[in-house]
Amino acid sequence: MAMRQTPLTCSGHTRPVVDLAFSGITPYGYFLISACKDGKPMLRQGDTGDWIGTFLGHKGAVWGATLNNEATKAATAAADFTAKVWDAVTGDEVLTLAHKHIVKSVNFTQDSSCLLTGGNDKIIRIYDLNKPEEEPQEITGHTSAIKKALWCNNDTQILSAADDKTVLLWDRNSTEVVKQLSFDMSVSSMEYIPDGEVLVITYGKTIAFYNALSLDMIKTVDAPASIHSASLHPDKDFFVAGGDDFKLYKFDYGTKEELESYKGHFGPVHCVRFSPDGELYASGSEDGTLRLWQTAVGKTYGLWKCVLPEELVSENSDTIYCTPAAPEIKA
Amino acid sequence: MRSHVSVLRLPRGPDPNGRGFDPNSPRFIALCPTTISASSETGTDSVQIREEQRARSALRESFLRTLIAMTNKQVQFHMHERVKVEAKFGASDIDVLNVQVSELHTPIGVQKEALLRCQDVISYSFDL
Repeated sequence: MAMRQTPLTCSGHTRPVVDLAFSGITPYGYFLISACKDGKPMLRQGDTGDWIGTFLGHKGAVWGATLNNEATKAATAAADFTAKVWDAVTGDEVLTLAHKHIVKSVNFTQDSSCLLTGGNDKIIRIYDLNKPEEEPQEITGHTSAIKKALWCNNDTQILSAADDKTVLLWDRNSTEVVKQLSFDMSVSSMEYIPDGEVLVITYGKTIAFYNALSLDMIKTVDAPASIHSASLHPDKDFFVAGGDDFKLYKFDYGTKEELESYKGHFGPVHCVRFSPDGELYASGSEDGTLRLWQTAVGKTYGLWKCVLPEELVSENSDTIYCTPAAPEIKA
Repeated sequence: MRSHVSVLRLPRGPDPNGRGFDPNSPRFIALCPTTISASSETGTDSVQIREEQRARSALRESFLRTLIAMTNKQVQFHMHERVKVEAKFGASDIDVLNVQVSELHTPIGVQKEALLRCQDVISYSFDL
């Protein structure tokens, strides 16, 4: 008998959660950072959602957040015209990088030596974190605000998505455009998967998959509602998406079939990402919460426990309890 | 009707009193053995570590000397929630977790003897 998904709600933010990112798998597990319009990005333990700390310092909404692979550094992009680099172990602010407009996106290279930023001033910047006083390298070309800028192809190239309805692939050294994708509408999100070089782009109700090196389209899938973010499972068997209708959708990547949809959030879903081990995915919403969802519903993992029917009625099961998914509220 | 997956507990939320990053967590202890960032990056440089230790000792000694200098003096404490109190400083405990004061002037009256929790104190000042 299939079980019903119990999402784990992570509370603490007081305004919409607009971005989230996982670290790689470290000796201490993996971690999750959330960007929130309340200006206070938070670090959480990735498999349980337990709060670890809040990065205090930004004076405006935080639009983008990222962790390096080892989860020792964090970077955030904010409406206060700065990007900040943080020590993700102590929570201390390490660097403030002043920009000329709202910063929307931050991304570390694999070795954490460089930080890529992009935002409303339409310029992509590369900061050498070993020489922070030096002026960043600037890459111009976009004609509208940049939503996301990501390192790709072993940090030799850069992918950027902007409100000018294009996704551009740049060569890092020549700073020239290598390839371009044009759309009829603005891209709402972009995810880059280094293993297999897959690019996941969402726009309108569509989730599109591209080869990240050639920008050749692999496939597109349409969802029942406008999608704000999507994420491909590390094993490339599923992908999840969320958007305007508050639901999380799970699709089979091979057959493009919609497998499941989950209610739970009380507002549009702004971001969704699979954990590095693929066992769960996290979603951030306008409702100010993050929710963790199991990939394999019913499996024992993190805070979820597979309980056999006999254990439910046992007297010793007081540490195990069922919390149903949020009740369906009729407006 | 399908049953819901059970959970052991809900994810822990933020601590209302602090920004987190527990210095007693295994990860913190392993990755930040000292609080001065210079030494955690170049841990094998013994000259730097010696110098850092000398600086730490100097800072610690001057801090302890300020505690001695404060004894029986009027001290103003700035606490959370914009609270300012004044009292005669008596002594601190060995870990400087609490300080013993007399004639503590508070917004709701004067307390003859009191213990102030150091974690509640943001800063304090006194005249030498």
